[in-house]
Amino acid sequence: MSSASRRIRVWDLPTRIFHWALAVLVVFSFTTGKIGGSWMDWHLKSGYAILALVLFRLAWGVVGGHTARFARFVRGPMAFGAHARALVQRRYRAVLGHNPMGGWMVVLMLLALAAQAVSGLFADDEIATQGPLAVKVSNALVAKMSSFHYYNGWALAALVGIHVVAIAAYWFAMRDNLVGPMWSGWRDVEPGTVEPAAGPAWLAALLLAVAAGAVYWLVAIYPKG
Amino acid sequence: MKKSAIAALVLAVTAVPVVAQQMKAENQVKYRRAAYQLMNLNFGSLEAMADNKKPFNREEAARNAEFVALLATVPKGFFGEGTDKDTRAKPEIWKNRADFDSKMDKMTGEAAKLPAVVKAGDLGAFKKQVHDLGEACKACHDEYRAKQQ
Repeated sequence: MSSASRRIRVWDLPTRIFHWALAVLVVFSFTTGKIGGSWMDWHLKSGYAILALVLFRLAWGVVGGHTARFARFVRGPMAFGAHARALVQRRYRAVLGHNPMGGWMVVLMLLALAAQAVSGLFADDEIATQGPLAVKVSNALVAKMSSFHYYNGWALAALVGIHVVAIAAYWFAMRDNLVGPMWSGWRDVEPGTVEPAAGPAWLAALLLAVAAGAVYWLVAIYPKG
Repeated sequence: MKKSAIAALVLAVTAVPVVAQQMKAENQVKYRRAAYQLMNLNFGSLEAMADNKKPFNREEAARNAEFVALLATVPKGFFGEGTDKDTRAKPEIWKNRADFDSKMDKMTGEAAKLPAVVKAGDLGAFKKQVHDLGEACKACHDEYRAKQQ
């Protein structure tokens, strides 16, 4: 970047906290699920936290900071194709926020995560661990949910793998470090680029509290009723 | 009542190796499944106590542990020839029989330790033993049991 470039905040604080908390919890969930035993208790708790985070993110995608909004980063096939062509022809230009391909990865990962967390609520590992809602539905459905939870877990791992490889590719092949901005929020941009509006932190806290409350009700209160 | 039930189970279990040889494949599948299901019931109760989801009750835990330890010895004798049909048991069991047997023995070994651990009444040791057994169960499920349809 030239000295004339300026730094702006591309990601607001709630979006960044969401991202890194989710990253830690997803790795933790995957690992504890594979180890089993005494870790299953933590596997369930981690899953509840992920469900709350995903619910928060869905709401934040509507009312949150501008780069976090679905309406801004979920793009049509034309934009997707144009971005893909630019990558192949090595004339990539940095995008403020999610690029048209990355945006779809965000959507895919959020959907897979939601499906993973919800299916886990109904799953039974047939050893000693049951999701809190397994008692509420038929065994046939529990069986389906348990299988889905297993296979979707690997699908999710694959999506995360592609996500990480893509970020590494932007960094090393296009010389565009996307990790720094997701950590600090700051990104060097061309002069004159307008800083995208951040979402208010109080609103994020409120949404997260509501999401956590809803999940708590779903896993701790509703099953006993 | 309880003692006689356990005595009957002991008798049934000790009689198993002889019986299993002559039993038709379909019934071997039936009985090993029954043993696993009753193990699931009793182990579920122990796991709930180990995870503080229900209070530790030594008498109930002792009964659960006795059942688990005995029931754990049942399935091994019921994976005979032809018992790979209409089951979630994977064909790999019969290809890697030595590994399957060693995982099975690990599981019965962990289960056998449970009753004494419950009797001793040390809650920390109890939790550890329950989870060690859970992991031994999982080792086989991961490798040798097909996912539910």
